[in-house]
Amino acid sequence: MIEYRNITKRFGEKIAVNNLNMTLEKGTITMLIGPSGCGKTTSLKMVNRLVDPDEGDILINGESVFDLDPVKLRRSIGYVIQEIGLFPHYSVFDNIATLPRLHNWDEKKIKDRVYEVLDMVTLDESYADKYPSQLSGGERQRVGLARALAADPEVLLMDEPFGAIDPINRLILQQSFLEIQEEIKKTIIFVTHDINEAIQLGDKIAIMNQGSLVQFDTVSEILANPENEFVENLLGHDRNLKALSLKKARDYIKKEGYITVGPDVDKEAIRKELEEKDLVLAYIIDSRGRLKGRYYIDKAARKVDGRYPLVRETRPYHVERTTSLTETLSRMLEYGEKVLPVVSRNGRFRGVIDLDSIFEEVKQAGTAKGA
Amino acid sequence: MEFFSYFVTHSDLIADSIIRHFLLFLISMAFAIVVGIFLSIVITREGHEKVGQVILSITGASQAVPSVAVIALVFLFIGIGMKPALVALVIYSLVPIVFNATSGILSVDPGVLEAAKGMGLTKSQRLWHIKIPLAMPVIMSGIRSSATINIGTVTVAAIIGAGGLGDIIYTGLKLNRPEMIFIGAGLAAIIAILVDTVLMYVERKVTPKGLA
Ligand SMILES: Nc1ncnc2c1ncn2[C@@H]1O[C@H](COP(=O)(O)OP(=O)(O)OP(=O)(O)O)[C@@H](O)[C@H]1O
Ligand SMILES: [Mg+2]
Repeated sequence: MIEYRNITKRFGEKIAVNNLNMTLEKGTITMLIGPSGCGKTTSLKMVNRLVDPDEGDILINGESVFDLDPVKLRRSIGYVIQEIGLFPHYSVFDNIATLPRLHNWDEKKIKDRVYEVLDMVTLDESYADKYPSQLSGGERQRVGLARALAADPEVLLMDEPFGAIDPINRLILQQSFLEIQEEIKKTIIFVTHDINEAIQLGDKIAIMNQGSLVQFDTVSEILANPENEFVENLLGHDRNLKALSLKKARDYIKKEGYITVGPDVDKEAIRKELEEKDLVLAYIIDSRGRLKGRYYIDKAARKVDGRYPLVRETRPYHVERTTSLTETLSRMLEYGEKVLPVVSRNGRFRGVIDLDSIFEEVKQAGTAKGA
Repeated sequence: MEFFSYFVTHSDLIADSIIRHFLLFLISMAFAIVVGIFLSIVITREGHEKVGQVILSITGASQAVPSVAVIALVFLFIGIGMKPALVALVIYSLVPIVFNATSGILSVDPGVLEAAKGMGLTKSQRLWHIKIPLAMPVIMSGIRSSATINIGTVTVAAIIGAGGLGDIIYTGLKLNRPEMIFIGAGLAAIIAILVDTVLMYVERKVTPKGLA
């Protein structure tokens, strides 16, 4: 738990943060958002004492950070910045091992931990020996996150970590970030410029303007009851549609309307089973439960010998469990599919989501609002 | 013919001159490197980066001062002999080292330094594990150009009594004996090339992996 108590910070005449009071629950993500220069970074950096406030106190689990040695404090907090700040002369392994080494762990434990966090951010072991200059922006960002997680800190501070990543990779990173958080349950402060990112990732959102906290609440509460015009403008006109993005595919999974088959099942047998059950979709699942492809009876194609062709695809479109309904919808439109398989982060097949479920959800949101 | 006979008859003198030449170079470079890097670390301390910027413009400009001028000034204030020559050499070699080391350290990516600080590296860990290694290629190229200038200046320093191969050249000039000039100049050139080759190798060795 992190508590800001009456925190004020001035730079000369300029008040960067004005009497900030905010309590962040353990294990939650708080998104810090607001216009440029409103004091987000300054608020963040006061937690690990890169900036010291003029007034007020910050407590982590009831203990004032000002009673702690700054170096020790920083080593107990994960820190990720927009420029990532990977050490260019260190390999990926050495970058991640930095803090464990400062903590004097033995080499065996360090090695195990490095591979563990690499796996967490979905990078395989071959990345360990690479240097930052050999990585893509998204990979660098993952290594930055892995490095911050290496010493298993309870608190993570992230300052626009995905800010410099292109939109597509940013979506992927956000997805895996959520899945990682589901596993590790850290207390996270996450600064962003992007309201969609805030809605997508946050348990709570803290909205700042000119150094002051304007609204601090759960995402759905903020979407439903914006405090004032400033917040409304920040959320944008489509905030009802945005509410859809809070809902995750995992809550709309259906386990019917398709069959699953092993990778080596005979085509005729699949067709037979599909025709018997009056279905068109068969997902190929390997022995470890991972989605490997799909068969479908193509009713749009011309019949051959009086039957529609059975088509096999090895890389079917899919969504992940934590993909939002907005994103799921837009992928359905993009791919021209009414049904998409849902997989977990490690590629395991979990069921399907269909267009009707999403429409149902939109309809309900509409009625609830009218009522 | 005279060339060879001089070589044979004066082999002791030549050997002494080479050793003295090389010692002047080594001693003054060692001083310049230690003092130069120490100075650069001091003037680039966190929170004092402005000082570094000022020193950077001063050293940048003073690289244009010719070596003879520095030697002449040292002669005016300290006098003649091996010691004043060493002083002149150290001062003159300091400039490119301080210039490069300072600009190398100041140009380390602030994002990297901020991350290092935020992760809990102490001031000295940031200096020795981050700043110096990242500035190393620039520092080394400063040392290399300083060495090139130094070895050239050693020859000139003979005019204030430094000794070394420059002495043979000046004597040759005074006595109008071309073979002495050839030998002095040729050997000085060979030493300069050797030094540069060795340093080029060292430069490659000390550049951290991942920076290339
Ligand atoms: N070291 C500093 N010295 C002087 N002023 C500063 C310093 N750091 C921040 N400020 C000022 O304090 C205010 C808040 O800065 P801060 O970096 O916290 O904003 P921010 O919300 O993170 O902005 P951005 O979205 O652009 O990153 C700004 O007006 C900024 O100019
Ligand atoms: Mg900022």
